[in-house]
Amino acid sequence: MNSKQVSLLQGTLDLLILKALSTGELHGLGISRRIEQVSDETFLVKPGSLFPALHRMEEAGWLSSFWGESENNRRAKFYRLTKAGRNQLEVEREQWNRVALGMANALRAT
Amino acid sequence: MRLWARAKSMLRNLFRTQQVETQLDDEIRGHVEMLMDERVAAGMSPSEARRSVLRDIGGAEQLKQAVRDGRAGVGLEMVWRDVRYAARQLYRNPGFTVTMIVTLALSIGANTAIFSFVNALMLNDLPYSQPERIGTIYTRVTGAHPYDERHKLNGEQWELLRDNVPSLISAVSSSRSSGVNLQTGTHVEYLHAGRISAHYLDVLRVRPVMGRNFLEAEDRPQGPHVAILSYHLWRNTFSSDPNVVGRSILLKGEPYTVVGVLADGAVTPLNADLYTSVQASRKGEGGGTNFEVITRLRDGATWQQADAEINHAWSLRTQRYELEDDPGAQASWYSVPLQKGETAQLRPQVLILMLAAGLILLIACANLAGLSLVRTLRRAPEIATRMALGASQWQIQKQLWVESLLLATIGGAAGIGAGFGAVRGLLLLLPEHFLPVAHVALDTRVLMFTLLISLLTTVLFGMLPAVVARKFDVRATLASRTATGSDRLGVRQALIVGEVALTVVLLAASGLLIRTLIHLETLPPGFNPAGVMTAKASLDDVRYRQPAAFLKLINQSIAAMQQIPGVEHAAVGLSLPYERSLIMAGLPISDGKEAGQKAAADETYVTPGYFETLQIPIMAGRSFTDADGPDTQPVCIVNETFARKFFHGANPLGRHLFKGTMIVGVVKDVAMAPGIDPIAPLTGEQTVYIPASQLAPSLLSAVHIWFQPSWIVRTAAPVEGLTAQMQRQLASVDPNLPFSGFYSMHDLQAKTLATQRVEVALLTTLAGLALLLSSIGIFALVANMVTQKTREIGIRIALGSSIQRAMLDIGTPGVRASIVGLVLGLIFCAGALRAMRSALYGVGVYDLPTMIIVILTFASVVLVATVTPTLRIAGIDPAMTLRDE
Repeated sequence: MNSKQVSLLQGTLDLLILKALSTGELHGLGISRRIEQVSDETFLVKPGSLFPALHRMEEAGWLSSFWGESENNRRAKFYRLTKAGRNQLEVEREQWNRVALGMANALRAT
Repeated sequence: MRLWARAKSMLRNLFRTQQVETQLDDEIRGHVEMLMDERVAAGMSPSEARRSVLRDIGGAEQLKQAVRDGRAGVGLEMVWRDVRYAARQLYRNPGFTVTMIVTLALSIGANTAIFSFVNALMLNDLPYSQPERIGTIYTRVTGAHPYDERHKLNGEQWELLRDNVPSLISAVSSSRSSGVNLQTGTHVEYLHAGRISAHYLDVLRVRPVMGRNFLEAEDRPQGPHVAILSYHLWRNTFSSDPNVVGRSILLKGEPYTVVGVLADGAVTPLNADLYTSVQASRKGEGGGTNFEVITRLRDGATWQQADAEINHAWSLRTQRYELEDDPGAQASWYSVPLQKGETAQLRPQVLILMLAAGLILLIACANLAGLSLVRTLRRAPEIATRMALGASQWQIQKQLWVESLLLATIGGAAGIGAGFGAVRGLLLLLPEHFLPVAHVALDTRVLMFTLLISLLTTVLFGMLPAVVARKFDVRATLASRTATGSDRLGVRQALIVGEVALTVVLLAASGLLIRTLIHLETLPPGFNPAGVMTAKASLDDVRYRQPAAFLKLINQSIAAMQQIPGVEHAAVGLSLPYERSLIMAGLPISDGKEAGQKAAADETYVTPGYFETLQIPIMAGRSFTDADGPDTQPVCIVNETFARKFFHGANPLGRHLFKGTMIVGVVKDVAMAPGIDPIAPLTGEQTVYIPASQLAPSLLSAVHIWFQPSWIVRTAAPVEGLTAQMQRQLASVDPNLPFSGFYSMHDLQAKTLATQRVEVALLTTLAGLALLLSSIGIFALVANMVTQKTREIGIRIALGSSIQRAMLDIGTPGVRASIVGLVLGLIFCAGALRAMRSALYGVGVYDLPTMIIVILTFASVVLVATVTPTLRIAGIDPAMTLRDE
């Protein structure tokens, strides 16, 4: 395990999943790889967190799923953003920016 | 949108589990295989790759479970699983389950039924618009004879109220509806008419569907004859005639103009078939307090303001009736919601019943707690096993509470059914128009109440097993295979003590009411009620306002009825025994040392055969004869109470009342409905009888507005078709005079005692229920001990103990608890029964025979409940029980 990796902040997993899917549909493994890649391997998403989150987000109507074939012809469940999911991405992005800004300000203060 | 998506997934998760699971399997397998592919490509062997993948993801099954735990509706599913498990547990113990549910159904049903009445009588609004703005007026008199109650008004008070209290719209009515004759074509009907003032229907906000309410001009003395029909009458008698408004109808022998028809279902406190205007004044009827008042607060006014105006207006009275008995009396008035005024008399009874029902609930809870405690102790091994397998204390507790809740829910549902049946039965038991409300319904409030007490019972009986289960020691329980709590016997005995004590109170209370009813029913009536048939007719009729016409009618009709074969005697009287009669206040005694004293007495006119027909014994002097006529010496007959009260044992014969009316006879007291001093539902009041032929012409029309005289006949043996013949003989004298209905004297007595009868029936049912529940509790205690100690008993019998000895040992705790409960109950009785004093007649609060019967009843029930289960001891085979070891 990479020593650079940090555990996920509460609530950030959803945002990362939404972001990962914003460029197109992916299966579970693809999503976790994409998150590792875009976060410069800072975040490692464990399947024990990923799959419950995917199912929960699908139930919430942010994601939809379909069955397809993986690169090496394995049957896999693919996820993509719904319209509600795109809206949610914007909402959470906004929120995260505010939190990040606030945290940065707080830490800068003396 | 999101909510809908969630709900959809929840339903899918709950009901299409198979499909959801298969898809989850596929997804996770796909994930694992993809990772394996990567690792195989990197050089691992397939089996090595699988192992490492599964290790990294923390196990496929665990991963699936993590997804399942996050699913929508997972909480619901867990509860559902608990409920199913609880249902299976209950199904496996049918004896326990049935006992619990029946107990719950009976106790919750009793509470639901009684609460329905509380709800209908006290909580539900009257069926009028803005009921909180409708009131009536209470009079509070302080002094030597204080009272505080709804009081009737006289004409002067009415005029002052109407003209000087701007905060209120006020209206008066006759105090009850009375019988009148309505003639349509050749058909004459006996109807109930209410007399109301101009704004009566405005106060209630009852608007006619056709026509209008009475105008003020129609409410003046000697005003026009006008009538408003109830919807029912309009539909049935007038065949829904659309042109009925403005039509003239023949009422009381005179033409009345119909000015309105009320809506279907429109009700008034008078409950009449039709309404005429009361046309109240200070004279005649208005000379006494004869009017019932209702008021509506005008917009913007307050009740305080209205009360101040009332008190000011009535300070202007010239006639101050409260001073008659007590010169120092002070009167004041205040408004009370009409709902309270209408139901005041029934409130205490209903509250006593509610209290009794509450006690039933407590008794039932004690039983249920005892039963479920025993069951929990028996299930100790099962619970200990589950705990050993890793169930948390929280899961065990949840399971126990779910079971209690499931029982209470089933019991509550059954209770609603039982309550509904009980309300129906009770309404059949009650006489017509007994309740001042039209409906007693199981409405939302009643159902909420039932839900609430079901939850309350759950908490009360579920608490004990839950607390006990919390203390289970897993290791000890698993080792000994029994609960470590044989010391719970004390708790169960305490429960029995409590329920027995409450049962004793209920038994004693219902015993006292039964004794009261027996006393009232066996009260010497003062006459011979057997073989007497009675019927009323309305003489509030223009044809009978003249004494000559009235006398002709009663003489000829009595003669005609005496022609009926089998009739021995016939007579007419204004009021009968068991009935309320005309009260005359301030009858002056004209001579002797009591001269100038004023007597208040019931007054009734009778025909010469009256005392013979009812067989009321003449104690002194003579009866009336045909010789007592309008032109002879005015005479009267008084009863014994009158003679005792006003002449203090001196001979009243020959003395004079009013102005020159001579007392010619003294008759025995008869049981009457109370009017002057409400002491008991039946009483002997001071009464003056006058001959019908000497009734003052001024009084003739007045008394017939209030009272409908009765025709009475005595037959030696039952006569076939007697009532039809009576009606035919009356018709031979006046074909347009209908009887209201026929009642035997026994019917009249039953009608008077209806309240007592209903009270007795209800409280006795509740007490019986309590007794049943207590005996179940004692039985269960002893039976359970027999089961628990089978092994011990077997050993003791094998060692030479006698069966009797063993039975005695086992039965003792139940008997001991019962005795303690009985004593405690008797102590409770000393305090609690005093509250019933006002409902008891002819029996003291501490009535020895009642207490002895209660104790004996209880002793026999305890005996049966303890001996029956111990009989099983005789069947214990020591060899068998020892081999079981």
